Amino acid sequence: MKSLTALIKREYLEHRGAFFYAPAAILVVLTVIMLSGITLGRFEAQAKVAIISGAKGFEFGFLAMSALWMAYLLLALFFYFADAFSADSRNNAMLFWKSMPQSDFKILASKMLAGFSIFPALIFVALILSGVIVFVGVVIMLVTVPGFTVSDPSAFFASALNILAFDLGYLVLALLWYAPFFAWVGLLSVLFRRWSIPLAFLIPALVGLAENLLFRNIFEDRDGGFVLSYLRDRINFAVGRDDIFDTMMQDSTFNAGALFTRFLTEVDWSQLVGGVGVAFVLVYVASEYRRRFVAT
Amino acid sequence: MNDLAQTTPAPIVSARGLKKQFGGREILHGLDFDIPPGRIYGLVGHNGAGKTTTLNAILGLTSYEGTVRVLGEDPYAKRAHLMENVAFISDVASLPRFLRVRELFALLTNIHPNFDPAKAHGFLEGTDVKMDARIKNLSKGMIAQLHLAVVMAINAKLLVLDEPTLGLDITYRKRFYRRLLEDYMTEERTLLITTHQVDEIEFMLSDIMFIRDGELILHMQMETVSGKYAQVLVRPAHVDAARALKPIYEETRFGQTAMVFDGVDRAHLATLGDVSTPTLSDLFVALMQREPK
Repeated sequence: MKSLTALIKREYLEHRGAFFYAPAAILVVLTVIMLSGITLGRFEAQAKVAIISGAKGFEFGFLAMSALWMAYLLLALFFYFADAFSADSRNNAMLFWKSMPQSDFKILASKMLAGFSIFPALIFVALILSGVIVFVGVVIMLVTVPGFTVSDPSAFFASALNILAFDLGYLVLALLWYAPFFAWVGLLSVLFRRWSIPLAFLIPALVGLAENLLFRNIFEDRDGGFVLSYLRDRINFAVGRDDIFDTMMQDSTFNAGALFTRFLTEVDWSQLVGGVGVAFVLVYVASEYRRRFVAT
Repeated sequence: MNDLAQTTPAPIVSARGLKKQFGGREILHGLDFDIPPGRIYGLVGHNGAGKTTTLNAILGLTSYEGTVRVLGEDPYAKRAHLMENVAFISDVASLPRFLRVRELFALLTNIHPNFDPAKAHGFLEGTDVKMDARIKNLSKGMIAQLHLAVVMAINAKLLVLDEPTLGLDITYRKRFYRRLLEDYMTEERTLLITTHQVDEIEFMLSDIMFIRDGELILHMQMETVSGKYAQVLVRPAHVDAARALKPIYEETRFGQTAMVFDGVDRAHLATLGDVSTPTLSDLFVALMQREPK
């Protein structure tokens, strides 16, 4: 366990750029934009939308930020796995790691676990901080722009907690849902290094094309063939737009419990559990390839 | 039989019929050797002779045909476990460049059960390597010093060095080997080293192996070399007589004829010229000539 934690920490040291420095820079830019807005009086000029209350304004802003950070995390993780699984070959460092009493599976597992623990945690912290920025922005609007209803401070707090609880739940499920995609690009990274990113899309596309050319009569009912339609369905793990809209438009505080419960009923659990199994197999195959054929 | 078993320690490395192919071409042609504990072995050969491939097989970095056992285990199947007691430095700088020295030591403390950070720190005292330095900012010599400090701080039974001083200047090379000998070697430890600069390691070797085109052509203890091989600066009048004794190598140096003999009586050779023991580099040149095909 001690060695696994140390290996996860070294992943952080090697790849903190995308998960620490870049989010920190984004937060600084957001803060600068907000401060500029205040000093230039832009908040008043932009306040054209009739918003019910300050707390609701905060909810809209914080949810939008949440969606952006989630998208950022999933994209950054995709690039992380594409890079990290072959990063040990950089500057001949593979020879050093191979001189350590750690198996290739454990090293790749540590990369996978880093992508599922410390990096999402860092982005979640960035998400919380951006919530603070949104909150400050909304408070300034409440003070400076007429037409807003001043909310009870506890309403902000309740909204923030509900949104964070929902974000956390969604984040955990989304990471598990997309685990096989991350493991897939990781395996390709071990096999083909920097070509893993185009190949992650090219290979399924070619398989789909071959299926359409060779077996088009078998899965006629599926638009674009079985492979492509399956991947199209599998890649979609968004919360229903109507569900979000309904929750947002209620006068009461954002209800994470109700929305998340509804979301849970829509999750295909067999696909989620099966996907985690597939991810495990892909990481194992990658580690065996690395053990047998990657010496430098 | 039992007495023999009790007095002969089990070899640290044992290879039987070690073969390796790359792309259908055989690189190693069935090597057989044992490396007992407490010895300092030099593995010497031309570029492409199969040195690094042999080391890679010993370190579990490549597949092979035949049998290899390191500390009694199959290195290809048990590399991770074996590395608790085996340390190596490859022929290229391989320390992870994104880490600081302090971070490297902290990481090793947690992932290597036999790494002692206090020892590593001690080995760096007196060098220009600072704990807060990023490895990517260190010079080639400092990286070599750091890597040596790291492997010397690992309590390993076998240390494998593949051209560890490649690209370093003479000062660093001498300091490197001196530290290795003074601060690391004990009777329980075995050192296997490859280098092209054979003269620089000759003083420390207990055994030598020459590898040529994937075959071991020499494997003996250093003290046996002087008994078996002799070099003679032959007097001009005796050149034909010396040639009749079938030297394994002959060359002209500043107008004098030098010949290397294998297993010829030294007293007899002394009648032909000045007899000495060939240096490793002389022996290397003598034995490594490829026979015309």
